[in-house]
Amino acid sequence: MGRRNKQLHDQSLNKRSPTIVYTPESQLKHPIQLFTQMWQDLLACRELAWQLLIRNISAQYRQSFLGIFWAFLPPIVTAIGFTFANNAKIVNIGATDIPYPAYVMFSMALWQTFSEAINGPIQAVTSAKQMLSRINFPREALILAKLGEVFFNFGIKLILIVAIFLWFQIPITWNIILAPVALIHLVILGTFFGLLLAPLGALYNDISKSLTLIIGLWLFLTPVVFPIPQGGGLAKIVQLNPVTPLLVTTRELATTGVVSNPSAFWIASIFAIVGLLLAWVVYRLAMPFVVERMSS
Amino acid sequence: MTINLSEPEIYQKPQSDDVVLSVKGISKKFCRDLKRSLLYGVQDIASELAGRRGKTETLRQKEFWALNNVSFELRRGDALGLIGPNGSGKTTLLRIISGLIRPDTGSCEVKGRLAPLIALGAGFIPILTGRENVYTNMSILGLSKHEIDQRFQDVLDFADIGDAIDTPVQSYSSGMAARLGFASAIHTEPDILLIDEVLAVGDAKFKAKCYRKLHELRNKGISFIMVSHSSHAISTVCESAVYLLKGKQILSGDTLSVLNKYEEDAFMSASQKDLGFLHIPEKPEVESGGLDVVAVFFKDKNGEIIDIPVSGELTYLVLDCKITKQLHDVSLTIGVRELAGESRRILYINSSDDDLYLDISPGRCEIQVQMPYFGLGMGLYDARIAIRMEKLFLLDKIESFKFAVKNAKNQSDSMMFYQPRTWNIINK
Repeated sequence: MGRRNKQLHDQSLNKRSPTIVYTPESQLKHPIQLFTQMWQDLLACRELAWQLLIRNISAQYRQSFLGIFWAFLPPIVTAIGFTFANNAKIVNIGATDIPYPAYVMFSMALWQTFSEAINGPIQAVTSAKQMLSRINFPREALILAKLGEVFFNFGIKLILIVAIFLWFQIPITWNIILAPVALIHLVILGTFFGLLLAPLGALYNDISKSLTLIIGLWLFLTPVVFPIPQGGGLAKIVQLNPVTPLLVTTRELATTGVVSNPSAFWIASIFAIVGLLLAWVVYRLAMPFVVERMSS
Repeated sequence: MTINLSEPEIYQKPQSDDVVLSVKGISKKFCRDLKRSLLYGVQDIASELAGRRGKTETLRQKEFWALNNVSFELRRGDALGLIGPNGSGKTTLLRIISGLIRPDTGSCEVKGRLAPLIALGAGFIPILTGRENVYTNMSILGLSKHEIDQRFQDVLDFADIGDAIDTPVQSYSSGMAARLGFASAIHTEPDILLIDEVLAVGDAKFKAKCYRKLHELRNKGISFIMVSHSSHAISTVCESAVYLLKGKQILSGDTLSVLNKYEEDAFMSASQKDLGFLHIPEKPEVESGGLDVVAVFFKDKNGEIIDIPVSGELTYLVLDCKITKQLHDVSLTIGVRELAGESRRILYINSSDDDLYLDISPGRCEIQVQMPYFGLGMGLYDARIAIRMEKLFLLDKIESFKFAVKNAKNQSDSMMFYQPRTWNIINK
């Protein structure tokens, strides 16, 4: 009887837990095994990611007096600043499809989502240092949880966006249904950059510091507070910027419903998706070495 | 009537040959220079991504082997102790086994789910409640929400923190947080449990509860690896052990022989090679108080000089003295501290407590302290001896006489002191 019980126990053990072998060899030498494991870990970590997401969000709001108000504040403040500057003719901004304050607030909300997606992976890895250096859990969970947070924050911003649309009586078309697709591609692009930098960012804090600078500069190379420039040196850079087609398309789908440059959108989207997959491989392979070296 | 009850309680371990963990020739190099270490990290990442990384046996500049060619096996239901002084690579080994870092040579094969008790409350967020933290912590350790729901009550009962479960963790005492961490880790029901010095937390009652739980888990066929630098903890739980020193595997095998070797080595490294025998060079006449100790050592029951006294045996502590003048009312004090741990004073012998005052004539003499049963247990000790005349006048003193004590051969387990005893059964 006892023996039979033990066999049953053995079977359940084997079913639940395959053998894992750790060797010094590069995991890229066995790509199929690597990709299978990546897929399995991604599936396995959904529940953990959900737990982490709930934990992060409740911790974030429990320690804050203004709470969700922080999601509205930056776009509103930026919009006020630029509207004043525009009206006072300090900066010369061309004509926009929708009223300028609404244009800035909506675009800033999108830009903020993008920059949260870039910063997300680095923040996730840095704040989980202690956990990373002690427990071997699927590292994808941190990223998924952070992505969840990015979308949650956008959801709150959506309240602001709906308010703007009603206030300025901005006409919408049925194409607005497609806007989330473009938004997801925008977030994918941000996550691609963030994920690629996350391992290095956990080792050297230079990364997160320079990222703050770069994102600040990047904002002015993207049509967020101004419409797409026509001609000139800036126009060239703005066109080459992969954020431009994704952000502009999201905005166009949500407002006019006319996509001005679909081919650029698809090129940028494929760039983002392929990039994210590669960055995932890099992140996964690099993490053990990061855990080894990082201070916890 | 006297009977012998020396038969130790035999532990019933599951009869099973399957290996759950197999470590083969694992090495790991580390670098103490931080900047260089980060740079090597980037290099390692680059070569991993280029697919060029393989086993590396050469050290780069300023690197050293944190682990060097370590191999052992762990079978289902077995407990293995990892022992060694600080910095010998125990934790590094655990981190490789749990897959946190990659080895530089060798391989490590793990069958089944592994839970580290290294990480008590890792991921606890102070402003969230205990309940919320238990859910997160257990899902980090690999449990689904459903599984956590099932075990939550057990965790709560085990941690025994009552209503505090619904208050933020930052209001907990460190003991409470550790208890909650231990409770959630231990209820993940892994196949292999890694325990890293964690049983040092909590009060005596909770510690006893932990040991009972560990025993219960072992009966279920869960294997352990236990890390400690206290040989006592390991000898009570593990039947085999691995002794690491500066990354090298010095010895592995049954716990008692490994622990003996470990304690022996700890003595040797304690600066003095002439452990258990102290020879003192002659002092100039002006410094002499009339009595000079020339040597301190032990003798066994046959009167032969021994280096390491055996716990429980008839032993003499001998002070070999040279006396240059007539002395009266000589008394001596001997204080013994343990060298390891907190260096508590374990023993204090004062001859005046025994109403002993010696009168000694010039010449050579041996002052012997006869101990019918040598009371100290296995370990390393440091004695301080002072010889006085008329209770105050210091004749000579020995600041430090280090010695080791070993267990008698028939001693089944290590202990802190030897209790002389006889067994009786009285029929009424």
